Amino acid sequence: MKSKRFQTLAERPVNKDGFVAEWPEVGLIAIGSPNDPKPSIKIQNGKIVEMDGKLREDFDMIERFIADYAIDIEAAEKAMAMDSVEIARMLVDINIPREKVLEISKGLTPAKIVDVIDKMNILEIMMAMQKMRARKRPGNQCHVTNVRDNPVLIAADAAEGALRGFDEEETTVGITRYAPFNALALLIGAQTGRGGVLTQCALEEAFELTIGMRGLTSYAETISVYGTEQVFVDGDDTPWSKAFLASAYASRGLKMRFTSGTGSEVQMGYAEGKSMLYLEAKCVLITKAAGVQGLQNGSISCIGVPGAVPSGIRVVAGENLITMMLDLEVASGNDQTFSHSDIRRTARLMPQLLAGTDLIFSGYSAVPNYDNMFAGSNFDIEDVDDYLAVQRDLMVDGGLRPVTEEEVVAVRNKAAKALQAVFKKLGLPPITDEEVEAATLANGSRDMPARDVNEDLKAATEMMQRRITGLDVVRALAESGYTDVAQNVLNMLKQRIAGDYLHTSAVLDKAFKIDSAVNNPNDYKGPGTGYRLSPERWQEIKDIPQALKPESFNTEEGA
Amino acid sequence: MMDEKMIEEIIREVLKEMKGSGVAVKENPVEKGARNFNPKSDYPIGEKRKDLIKTSTGKSLDDITLEQVMKGSIGADDFRITAETLLLQAQVAEAAGRTQLAGNLRRAAELTKVPDERILEIYTALRPYRSSKQELLDIAEELDKKYNASVCAALVREAADVYEKRKRLKGME
Repeated sequence: MKSKRFQTLAERPVNKDGFVAEWPEVGLIAIGSPNDPKPSIKIQNGKIVEMDGKLREDFDMIERFIADYAIDIEAAEKAMAMDSVEIARMLVDINIPREKVLEISKGLTPAKIVDVIDKMNILEIMMAMQKMRARKRPGNQCHVTNVRDNPVLIAADAAEGALRGFDEEETTVGITRYAPFNALALLIGAQTGRGGVLTQCALEEAFELTIGMRGLTSYAETISVYGTEQVFVDGDDTPWSKAFLASAYASRGLKMRFTSGTGSEVQMGYAEGKSMLYLEAKCVLITKAAGVQGLQNGSISCIGVPGAVPSGIRVVAGENLITMMLDLEVASGNDQTFSHSDIRRTARLMPQLLAGTDLIFSGYSAVPNYDNMFAGSNFDIEDVDDYLAVQRDLMVDGGLRPVTEEEVVAVRNKAAKALQAVFKKLGLPPITDEEVEAATLANGSRDMPARDVNEDLKAATEMMQRRITGLDVVRALAESGYTDVAQNVLNMLKQRIAGDYLHTSAVLDKAFKIDSAVNNPNDYKGPGTGYRLSPERWQEIKDIPQALKPESFNTEEGA
Repeated sequence: MMDEKMIEEIIREVLKEMKGSGVAVKENPVEKGARNFNPKSDYPIGEKRKDLIKTSTGKSLDDITLEQVMKGSIGADDFRITAETLLLQAQVAEAAGRTQLAGNLRRAAELTKVPDERILEIYTALRPYRSSKQELLDIAEELDKKYNASVCAALVREAADVYEKRKRLKGME
């Protein structure tokens, strides 16, 4: 017996995806594990002595850190006494402003937060996200990487990404020793495309801080935290080491956020039988407790885990909402290949795109899927015209703008040349004109001539030993005639002196003006309030080059 | 009737005396240097209150130009945020209701005095199974005495205590 219908369905992309039934014992459950604790709090002499059914003397290090630093004990007793449905309704109610909700949410324990989210359906979660996002304007981040760590291509792709509208750009490496070049190429490319784009290079914690200190990056994001003590320690950190690291970044005027996500504890084998969202709520509270301004979450590199269980994608939106409820910046995921099905990956994006988050993707792959060293993204450069069409169809700001081939080619060329000049000035292995030409027109690293990798790696190591800094880059650019790019890199370095961008959800516009939750807080209170597309921005989104215009009909015969 | 200036003078004298006698009283650089600072309306400080921002070498934001860079009169230290600026930013965070962020910025203010290499070493020492309790307590002492970083020192002392209880000290793996 073989049904042709079922044969056809079996061959559909969705059936290449993995799905599993709930299995609470190992933590394969998105929300509501029978092993999740019941919400409770007891405060004595200004200290939390019981949290979610556990006595203080039984707290592990994570619970102690949360109890002592994250939860506002002045708010806790009232907030914890409230019915979870009532809090969920406050989150959705357009008549209750964000600040009023924060007064309650800052006093909640992990189990209570999860109980609140569990009372909400996906649309209610999205309505709450629209209101609770910290900064008024939604934004976007991209990945710029390639399988060969080709620096010329990174510079060109970074420039194009900046032109397309990304607020932040993130790179990482195939080969670790290439890192200094990747960071340098990303910095120059981004500042060629649009002044003010923040850049980072995802690497081991200590190295990431070092290149930040040297002015080659302006922020960091891959500072991971986890929801069980064992996984935290396996990740080679503790809440205290991470809190110290957070202060270290700020002490050098560098923006940073933590990273976490549902599914990481299951993947690392120590979920303690708890639901993914319960463990993630702890991660968000750890971030708050450490005094970090924001968090990248939304499952991130573990998206396959919540993606495989029932209600997983709803819960991923829920974890973004928890971050917002705790008044933190959220870089909301959508950043790893999630499904073979175009329908599923689009559906997975909708909560963040339609509600708007500080950074809808963290990030969108500004390079082909095969070149993405974060294991692809939910949307890659191949999908960008689809994405622009969706912005236009639904009249929603996804952070990107349509561009023309001419301007993309021009900006890629300029970035590749600027990097060529800087390499020459700094005595790094030469970049040939052929490479500049190839990077200008390339789609991906398959279109690039090979470089001498050994020479590059040697020089990249020396670049760190020689202590090349952002200031050296400014000089090299200016001496080579790239005054505008030099000025932009200098302006990025100057951000760390005033430190205004250390605040929640801070990004910079092309005039290097701060746009953050402090000077542009989300004031959504229903229709007519909050973020609205300006006429200029809507014009930009509408104007995709493919659209036929009346003029084109008048001039073409027979049209 | 005493005017404000006189009171200030007296306080300064008292502070001097106390310092002389070895009592650790820290001058609060924010209150000294930034009296008309309004943490709600003066943000972004780099735009609205440039007068309050100095680099670690005493230059103003407007002194840092491409021209000066090319002349060679700007060094890497000119891009270091100062403790004073971080304390102003902590006030901004607090005024926006972000207590924990303000706390982090205050710890950061203390760490501005600690050299890059030492910061990285202390971070590594705080990772699990890296340090004995005594080693952590020595770091706390160093932060306290050498860098006047009492909040960071308290954080490290607390870590020493927690790591001991949770068996995360050197040799306990």
